[in-house]
Amino acid sequence: MTPSPDLIQELQASRPVAPAALRTRVRETAAAEPARSTLPVWSRLQLPVRRVALVAVPAAVAVSVVAAGVVGLSHANRYRARVAGENAPTPVLVAKQLIPKGTPGNIVSSQSMYAPTTLPRREVEGGAVADPSYLAGRAASADIFPGQQFTVTDFAASDTLSVDSQVAGAATTLGSQSAGPTQDSTIAPSPDRAQRVSATLTVEVRDPDAVSRAAQDALELTRSLGGHVVSASVATGEEGSASLTVRVPVDKVQRAIVQLSGLGRIVSQQVTIDDLQQDLDALARRQSSLRAQIARIGARLDTETLDAETRAVLEARRTRLQAELRQVRRGISSTSAEARMATIQVSVVTPDALGAVPPPPSRLDRTLDEALNVLVWEGVVALALAIVAAPFALVALAAWLGRRLYRRREDERLLAQS
Amino acid sequence: MHAVTLDARRPAEAASPSFPAVAEELLDDVYGYLLYLTRNWAVAEDLTGETFETALRRWRKFDPRRGTPRAWLLAIARSTALDWFRAEARRRRREERADAREPRGELEHGFGEGLSPELEEGLQALAAGEREVVALRVVLELDGEETARLLGISPTAVSTRLHRALGKLEERMRAHDAVA
Repeated sequence: MTPSPDLIQELQASRPVAPAALRTRVRETAAAEPARSTLPVWSRLQLPVRRVALVAVPAAVAVSVVAAGVVGLSHANRYRARVAGENAPTPVLVAKQLIPKGTPGNIVSSQSMYAPTTLPRREVEGGAVADPSYLAGRAASADIFPGQQFTVTDFAASDTLSVDSQVAGAATTLGSQSAGPTQDSTIAPSPDRAQRVSATLTVEVRDPDAVSRAAQDALELTRSLGGHVVSASVATGEEGSASLTVRVPVDKVQRAIVQLSGLGRIVSQQVTIDDLQQDLDALARRQSSLRAQIARIGARLDTETLDAETRAVLEARRTRLQAELRQVRRGISSTSAEARMATIQVSVVTPDALGAVPPPPSRLDRTLDEALNVLVWEGVVALALAIVAAPFALVALAAWLGRRLYRRREDERLLAQS
Repeated sequence: MHAVTLDARRPAEAASPSFPAVAEELLDDVYGYLLYLTRNWAVAEDLTGETFETALRRWRKFDPRRGTPRAWLLAIARSTALDWFRAEARRRRREERADAREPRGELEHGFGEGLSPELEEGLQALAAGEREVVALRVVLELDGEETARLLGISPTAVSTRLHRALGKLEERMRAHDAVA
């Protein structure tokens, strides 16, 4: 139904007009000075909430970022001190394989059962052994597992005779060591005595490609000196390394060491000489004794008239002595052979394989790191507060919306009934 | 048509208009709206005075960028009237319980000079919510959007409510004509 224009016109033409008395009253009211507000100061400021929020939120973020930067900057110096202290590179010997309890220290050295490594100071155990010469004259007092750091409690004094020479390794930072040991620092074996000579070399080359070349050169050098290769292992990749065990004639060991040292920069070098002459002399004396006993038994069997039982006993004894003599001969032979050839273990590594400590980050990096940490913590705190406050805020919002909806419906009902 | 042109700045910052000027300009609108809403001239006068007192207290908070002074004053008037309706409803409930009901306030002077008795009766018969929308949309000539914002309902609901109210008035006048 369309309302008639007359109705609209009549309603508009008959607009209510305020009575004169009311007009006078309102004029008086409007002319009066508004009463002083009793609201709190913050309420009288009349700050528009949305505009304040638009400014306050970015301002809070900016303050957080600036605070993080300031804190990061102030922590940068502390960080540097910490790097110089806790993170200072510290040399330590780490087991490469299982070292059973009782293993002599010189064997540990000669078999290259450890790797000289540099670790941050905070990771180095108390009493850690950094100097391979400490192992001389000692033996493992307990099983030492691969990756385990050598400590003074792992080794106890032993009777093994060894002459170890630590000529390097106790250096400081691997990455900054400027010069290794020289060839003059090796100990020459005594030519008039039977000795077991073993040497361990760790040579650092620039990159994994150089590892292969150095290993090849080492093998060729060994052959040229009349030696042979016992084992060879070359690993390529990002952290290339090679482990070679070669034997060369004792009289050429010094030359071999010098030339092998030239493959790269020497990280550590160790020459161990075990005296075998006493063992050899003992074996020789035992051999003479056995021969004499066997000769005497042979003479009795050949010259004397013996009963069957006695003959059987003597023959059995001669057999045992002959067997022992063969063993002694083999012992003399193997000891002499060991004294003729020296064992050299060569490890060729790259700086990465040695676990060199990377250079400390720059001041800017440290500042950014610390600032980022602060920002992360600020975010965590803000998130935690949001998580805690969210349920209350939701309940308050729901209550406010509910109350508003209720009032609106009540108003509608009221106006519909009036 | 009533309109007050304001400077875009806040009242506190703007040189004009002053609150007295606004009150003078919009007094009839506020009074007419409240008269239609309450059907009682005495109550309408009281509520008008109360509306302007409240408006004066809040004048510093008025932001012309968020609406016209008329819409702002009518919103205060509506809130004041709703408070009165609530109080009136409570009073009626008390009187009903006490069985001491007094006669309701009469519309002695009508809704406005020049209205026919039939239209007066028709307006009297409308619900307050219907009279309210007639006052805002027809008498004060607010547009649909402004009225919807003021009443807190959608423009469509405003249109529906107005159509229903005018239809009732039309029907009542036709019935009166038929009897005559």
